[in-house]
Amino acid sequence: MLLDVKNLAVTYAKSAAPTIQDVSFELDAGEILAIVGESGSGKTTVIRAILNLLPGGGKVSDGTIIFDGKNLAELDNSGWRKLRGGDISMIFQDSGAMLNPVHTIGKQFVEYIQVHSELDKTAAREMALEKLTLMNLPNPENILNSYTFELSGGMRQRVGIAMAITFQPKLLLADEPTSALDVTTQAQIVGELMFITRGSGAAMIIVTHNLGVASYLSDKLIVMSQGKIVEAGATEVVVENPQHAYTKTLLASVPEMGRARYV
Amino acid sequence: MSEIIMSVENLTKKFPVRGGKFLTACDDISFHVRRGETVGIVGESGCGKTTLLKAIMNMQAPTSGRIIFHGEDITKLTGEAKRQNYRHIQMVFQDPSAAFDPKMRVKDIICEPLVNFDLIGAADVEAKAQELLAQVDLPADFANRYPHNMSGGQRQRVAIARALALEPEIIACDEATSALDVSVQDTIIKLLVRLQREKGITYIFICHDLALVSLFSHRIAVMYLGNMMEKLDGDKLSAARHPYTRALLKAVFSTEREKNQYIEILPGDIPSPLDMPSGCPFRNRCVHCQQICAEKKPPFTEVAENHFVACHFPLEN
Repeated sequence: MLLDVKNLAVTYAKSAAPTIQDVSFELDAGEILAIVGESGSGKTTVIRAILNLLPGGGKVSDGTIIFDGKNLAELDNSGWRKLRGGDISMIFQDSGAMLNPVHTIGKQFVEYIQVHSELDKTAAREMALEKLTLMNLPNPENILNSYTFELSGGMRQRVGIAMAITFQPKLLLADEPTSALDVTTQAQIVGELMFITRGSGAAMIIVTHNLGVASYLSDKLIVMSQGKIVEAGATEVVVENPQHAYTKTLLASVPEMGRARYV
Repeated sequence: MSEIIMSVENLTKKFPVRGGKFLTACDDISFHVRRGETVGIVGESGCGKTTLLKAIMNMQAPTSGRIIFHGEDITKLTGEAKRQNYRHIQMVFQDPSAAFDPKMRVKDIICEPLVNFDLIGAADVEAKAQELLAQVDLPADFANRYPHNMSGGQRQRVAIARALALEPEIIACDEATSALDVSVQDTIIKLLVRLQREKGITYIFICHDLALVSLFSHRIAVMYLGNMMEKLDGDKLSAARHPYTRALLKAVFSTEREKNQYIEILPGDIPSPLDMPSGCPFRNRCVHCQQICAEKKPPFTEVAENHFVACHFPLEN
C-alpha cells in the first residue's frame, strides 16, 4: 500500500470544529483516486493535509497519514522539503499562479531541478526540455525562454504537470487541474494525466467538481460533503449505483446530453 | 413559432491593435431571437461570445452590422433613447459577488434600476424588494442583508431579481451558472425556466458547458474565433454536422461510462485571433480539411430545416 490515511481530521482555528473529520482511505501504487464534492466540502483540505500545506494555521488535529511506510507526522522540515516535489508532487488549478511571472519558466524549472538533484545547469536544462517534450509541448526550447503570461491556459497547465512529474513521483496530487480550461483543452489534459500515471505507475489523487472527469479518469471515488466522506468505492459502482442520498442528488444534477430537457 | 424579438444582422466588431492590424472579435454574425425562447451561445474562450453580448447590450458599438430591436437599429441610438433601451435588455453576470457593491443592502441592489428610471420612490424600496425576492424564492428578510452574508447560489438569485426588476423582454446571461456547484446550478436553471414560462422572458445564454446548453436552449449557436460555425435547434445538438461542434461534443466527459468511450481529443490550440488562418478558421485543426478550405471561407448554408452550417464538407449523421 502506498498511502494509508486513517481518521484524518483538520482544524483551522484553535476553537473551531474540525473542517474535515474521520477521513480514511487507502491508495495502491498506480491507482487513481478522485475526490468529488461541492465547494466547501473539504476536498482540497484533504490533499493539502497530505503535503502539510494547509493554509492559514490549519493543523492535522487527529489521525495518521502513512506514505510509503513512513508516518508523515514524524517528518521534520528538511524531511518535508525532500518529500514535496520529490516522491509526492502537486498540480494546481492554475499553474501560471504557481510560477513567478517576472522570471522565465526555464529559470524556475532549472532552479527546481537543481534543488532536488546534483545536476549542473546545462544538465538540468536538458532534463527540463525532456519533460516538456513528454507533455506534447511544441517548441520546448521556446517555452523555457518565455514568461507565464505568454502561454495559453492549456500550455501553462502542461508546464505545471511537466514540473510535477520531473522526479517520477510515486504520488501525484492534482487540485482541480482542468477546471479553468476549455472543454477541448480539458480533454487533452485529462488524456495526458491518464497517459502519465498509467505509463509511470504513479498513483494520483485528483480533486475535482466535474463528476464526468472523475468517472472517466479514476479507479476509486470518494464523495465528500461538509467535511465528511459520504460515499466511497470503486468508481463505476458509486456512479452507476449510488447508495447515499447526497451522491444521488449530486449525480442527478449533472447536466448530461440526452437527459430530460429543462425546456 | 413565436415572433422575432431581436435580429442581429451581419454584426462585425474589429479592435485596432499595434502595427495597424485589426483583431476581428466577431465576424459577420447573424441570428434571430424569438420571444420567450432561449438562445444558447457556446464556444471556447476567445471565440467572441462576450463581444457579441456587449454589442447586444449596447455597451459597445459594432464596427458594422445592425441589431434590430423594437423595429429600430439599437446600435445607432444615442442619449435618452439609448438609456431607455437598457430597460428592455438586462444582464446576469458570471460572478455575482463582483457585480454587486459590497456596501449596499440587497434591497438597494435590487431596486437600484427602478430608482434609476424613477419608477419607484425611496419609500417603496422595501416592499418592492420583497416582492422581487419572492419571485426568485428568497425569504423577505434577505432585503436587509449584505451580499457577503449569503451563499453563491443565493447571490445569483439576487442578481436575477435585479435583472427582473425592470421587467425586461430579454435577459442576457454571461456564464451565469458556471461558478456554481452542480446542484445549485440545477436549481438556478429551473428558476430561470419557471420565470420564462410565467413572464415570457427571452434569454441569451452564454455558456461553455455544451450539455447544459443543449438541455436549456431552444436554439444553439456555436462560435469559433469570432465566426459562427453552426446554428441549430437545442434538442438536435447531437445531430450537429460541423466538425468543430462534433469535436466539442466528443470532448464532454460524462458520468455514464458508456458515453465516455466516445471521448476523442481534438489536437492543437486555438490559433491567435491576430493570426487567423485563411479560408475556414477551423481548418488547421480539422481532420476533414481539404484544399478548398484554405482558399475559400465556407458560407453559411441551410442543411436541414433551421439547421445552418458553415462548412464545405458538413459531416453526415
